[in-house]
Amino acid sequence: MAVNKKRFDVSGLMQSKVTWAVIAEALILLVCFIIRPDFFSISYQPSTGMLYGSLIDIVNRSAEITIISMGMTLVIALGGTDLSVGALVAVAGAIALKFLRWDVLTYTTPGDYTVYPYILVIAVPLIVCALMGLFNGFLVAKGGIQPIIATLILMVCGRGVAQILTDGKQFTTGYSPFRVIGQGSFLCLPMPIIITIIVVIAVALFTRKTAFGAFVESVGVNPSASRLSGIKAGSVILIVFMITGLLSGIAGLIYSSRIMSNDSNNAGLNFEMDAILAVVIGGTNMAGGRFSLTGTIVGSLIIRTIVTFVYYFGIVAEATMAFKALIIAVVIVLQSEPVRRYFARKAALRQGGAR
Amino acid sequence: MTAKTNKQTLFTRLTNPKYIMVYATIGIFLVIYAAGGFLYGDKGFLTVRTFVNLFIDNAYFGISAVGMTMVLITGGIDLSVGAVASLTGMFIAYGTSVLHLHPMTCIAAALVMGVGLGLLMGWVIHYLNVPAFITTLTGMFLARGVCSLISRESIDIKHPMFDALAGWKVYLMKYSGGEWVKIKPIAFVNFNVLLFLIMILIGAFILQRTRFGRNIYAIGGNEQSASLMGLPVGRTKVLVYGFNGLCSVLAGISYALYVKSGWNLSLQGGELEVITCAVIGGTLLTGGVGYMIGTLFGVLLKSVIPALITFNGNLLSWWGKIATGMLLLLFICIQRFVVTSSARKRT
Repeated sequence: MAVNKKRFDVSGLMQSKVTWAVIAEALILLVCFIIRPDFFSISYQPSTGMLYGSLIDIVNRSAEITIISMGMTLVIALGGTDLSVGALVAVAGAIALKFLRWDVLTYTTPGDYTVYPYILVIAVPLIVCALMGLFNGFLVAKGGIQPIIATLILMVCGRGVAQILTDGKQFTTGYSPFRVIGQGSFLCLPMPIIITIIVVIAVALFTRKTAFGAFVESVGVNPSASRLSGIKAGSVILIVFMITGLLSGIAGLIYSSRIMSNDSNNAGLNFEMDAILAVVIGGTNMAGGRFSLTGTIVGSLIIRTIVTFVYYFGIVAEATMAFKALIIAVVIVLQSEPVRRYFARKAALRQGGAR
Repeated sequence: MTAKTNKQTLFTRLTNPKYIMVYATIGIFLVIYAAGGFLYGDKGFLTVRTFVNLFIDNAYFGISAVGMTMVLITGGIDLSVGAVASLTGMFIAYGTSVLHLHPMTCIAAALVMGVGLGLLMGWVIHYLNVPAFITTLTGMFLARGVCSLISRESIDIKHPMFDALAGWKVYLMKYSGGEWVKIKPIAFVNFNVLLFLIMILIGAFILQRTRFGRNIYAIGGNEQSASLMGLPVGRTKVLVYGFNGLCSVLAGISYALYVKSGWNLSLQGGELEVITCAVIGGTLLTGGVGYMIGTLFGVLLKSVIPALITFNGNLLSWWGKIATGMLLLLFICIQRFVVTSSARKRT
């Protein structure tokens, strides 16, 4: 390694977990490029006005996880975990489809119509998901319950709620404004990417341009000390869980718009796991404290790149998990405390030797 | 004098606030069971057969819950149990039906795999300081992925020895008219139920009567103090995850005996069912508190709800999930109350 020639603080960079995440993503993409040189090609389709290509596809398909993991980053920075996000994705889809079709006995064929005003189709799922997030936050902040257990409740019964809302049925719809959310395009880019960008910017502005991000980190490191220094830890927790609920709702709308249907069994399945992984790969410590939104985005992209990689090269779809596990294991081990300390010490030694 | 103190200690031991959670679990189970008997007694809810079926239908969850309880007491978590159990089923199914191996060979291979993975995850958690949640999640992905690599279709298990083991049952008898007759409606105990009860006993013995068990509680209470006291924290944690791996494999064998097939997507979400069993059995996820008897009743409590819904016949099975969620909420609130009140007493 050309460590000596570089002027900036290499040991600091080596210790940064985000660096490892970026290196991992670059390596996976490099492997993709070596095996299939056309992996990076992007083409323009005039008929749909959209850009196509594996890279676009990766970003597009990672939208739901990226959006959810923005909220998850904040929850993990508080030292918690939200297990209910996957179930909330299912709830959002179920409510949206319920409003679009309402009563399948009267509206027997799915078509380009909505029974209730479109604004309700969008707003009600988001509000319900935000309220469910608030419920999680209430249990954590006011009840003093560990987040992982508090959110386990909604994770267990959320899908049940979604099923009962739609009487255990699967509705489909053909309402075109609803299709736009998941399959439309804007500025040549798929709509989910645009929504993701908006969400990322909004969360970044909210946490980095106001003091809220610092509050979250402070509560994550030491709740009592934050309370003593005048931060309302309870409100911070409530807001963070509500944001995560709301973002899960947005992801749920995108998901159900992609399939133009509600699938309470499989919508958002394992999303909580993927989102938590994205955050951890991105370098946010599960014990709470400092968080990195950039790292989370990279983490989410890594997960999706692995999946696309596996699809692209014709490996059995269900085996994705094994590959995911191997790559994540490597990233986690590289990021783990002892290994990073070892690398940092080595880098420091080399620098010392050069001097 | 000595007898009196002994009596007092027994009484104080039984009324110790740390047992409140276990009593709550047993109490709520009895209430729900009695309510079921009141509502559906005429349909046979109170028969021995229904009660034994609670064990037969949930033995694999119970077996896994034994290991999970220990992991939770150390303050950790293991999300890989469902996938490892599923992989065990795949090993047995693929090994006997496709590779024509003896089931015992497959079981041995599964044991090596499960215990090995458990030990490895424990090692990563303790020595590399990676959160248990993430490590075991990776383990879950790995096991699930390998399941799918072996086969994407459900494979039937057909082997005379395996069939014999799955079909082995002991009918419950009663003594009437000078001879033993099978009780009606016919109820029996099979290998899974025995394995479940034996594992609960082994688990209780390890936790209450061995040094290893005491170390588990000490680590869950406060890992730093345990380490400062010179307890083998690392070794204990690694072994607990190894033991949990063993329980997952046994649960997988039990599930394979129950459904007589292996499927790569079987027991999906099983890990959360198992954790729910342990939590409604009074195990604290913060660590340090938990009893096998509580877990036993946690499994029964969780399984009595679907039984009630089946007896009702009109409800969507999804209400079961909602009811389980509500139970979880109730228990968490009780736990919270117990913890805060005992903390107040201490100060």
